[in-house]
Amino acid sequence: MSEKKYSIEVDNLVIRYRNMKKFSIKRQLFQGGYKKEDYFEAVRGVSFKVEEGRILGIIGKNGSGKSTMLRAMAGVFSADEGTINLHDHSVSLMAIGVGFQKELTGRENIMLSGMLLGFSEEEVHEKEAEIIEFAELGDFIDRPVRTYSSGMHSKLAFAITAIMETDIMLVDEVLSVGDQHFKKKSYKKMKDLINDKHRTVVIVSHNISTLKELCDQVMWMHDGEIKMLGDTDDVLDKYEEFMA
Amino acid sequence: MLKRFTEDFKTHYKYAFYSARAQLKAEVAGSYLNWVWWVLQPFCMMIVYAIVFGVMFSAREQYFTAFIFIGISVWDFFNRCVKQSVKMVKSNKSIVTKVYIPKFVLVLAKMLVNGFKMLICFAIVVMLMIVYRVPVTLNVLYVIPLLIDLWLFTFGCMCILTHFGVFVEDLTNVIDIVLRFVFYLSGVMYSISHRIGDSYPLYATILEKCNPVAFVMASLRECVLYGDTPGRKLILLWGLISVVISAIGVTIIYKNENSYAKLI
Repeated sequence: MSEKKYSIEVDNLVIRYRNMKKFSIKRQLFQGGYKKEDYFEAVRGVSFKVEEGRILGIIGKNGSGKSTMLRAMAGVFSADEGTINLHDHSVSLMAIGVGFQKELTGRENIMLSGMLLGFSEEEVHEKEAEIIEFAELGDFIDRPVRTYSSGMHSKLAFAITAIMETDIMLVDEVLSVGDQHFKKKSYKKMKDLINDKHRTVVIVSHNISTLKELCDQVMWMHDGEIKMLGDTDDVLDKYEEFMA
Repeated sequence: MLKRFTEDFKTHYKYAFYSARAQLKAEVAGSYLNWVWWVLQPFCMMIVYAIVFGVMFSAREQYFTAFIFIGISVWDFFNRCVKQSVKMVKSNKSIVTKVYIPKFVLVLAKMLVNGFKMLICFAIVVMLMIVYRVPVTLNVLYVIPLLIDLWLFTFGCMCILTHFGVFVEDLTNVIDIVLRFVFYLSGVMYSISHRIGDSYPLYATILEKCNPVAFVMASLRECVLYGDTPGRKLILLWGLISVVISAIGVTIIYKNENSYAKLI
């Protein structure tokens, strides 16, 4: 029997936010300073593995640590404890309002975002036309992103991460961007991407039917911990019961 | 750490260049004169300084307009870079919270933007030198190590301030005051060795040699305008100190950068 090949291995992951946020000289001098060690644990000792080519769904109420964990997996946050091992796979985080510079045009942002995802200038150039066509922005592509509506913004963000394909895709609630037509199109694109047996996908969503259709397994997070991890239907049924 | 820095530099320097180019374009995108402003603005500033200091205050330095313009070019570069570094992470929030990028790359991109503006100012200095018929000697080549010193020192300062700017809310106010103080001490508008050195030679030496910005400014004037050889040992010493400051800055950033997204 062949050994299982994992794309993502998360072991005992803990992520904390400091409640005191920032240091102010004024507060330090005149208001008695800050309390020490004032932390909030967003993710508490989470461990799981995802096999290459599999699709993991993550569900949970707001504030349960889903997005924080996804961002840690994308390398935005460091783990306060535990480890995340992506086995040198390239990774992209698909999130609403992905890092755009508002004063720059859509075209320039495509280049910058592509380069940030680890692609070369030539690779991004090759995919540029496809991204622009997918995003359906027309002449707006050469206008500053600050002039875009929120729908256009999200469409461009989705198009960039969907077309600039990485080994691991982390999807944070972006399957419902744009109008009805674009929703269908992005959903179809997402399914195509998922069908690649080498691509590993982690989807965070509140939409139960989406998760049921797309995912191989689902993880239910509650207050920063895994409440349940297993077969999609079993977990989602339990979740629905819990939320009812 | 050096290995990581080298690898990150190799993989991201193109991004820094592209980002700098895009930022420069964005700065003038909405204006009528567009890129002409990059040249027009420093040119107009040069005329203002020439009138205010050359005519109204009858400055006595030789080739005064070029003298002052070298000071302004160097100071503007340092001043802009340092000020912008305090808000570096916050102003790039949309990137920092969505994707991993070594934060010194953001610093590099900003330095390239300000460096480009400094180069345009230097082009105007060259133009002034032609007008004044300033005799050029081989000492003009000292411009290269001097600018490397300035670049490294600024990079080090920026990295350190980029880090503390995330955590200390009032750093902008503090830095504004410090920079204003350094501005008056650096001899941007006057010659430290003439104005202070005549009466207090010791203070003038301290001011000019212990402050790298003043040192670079004075040395650039010496080698470009007056054909003198600047202090070679000091160029080397400030180069080494700047490398150490940069190494400290990059290390601090590497150790803490993954927490920045949690705080902004």
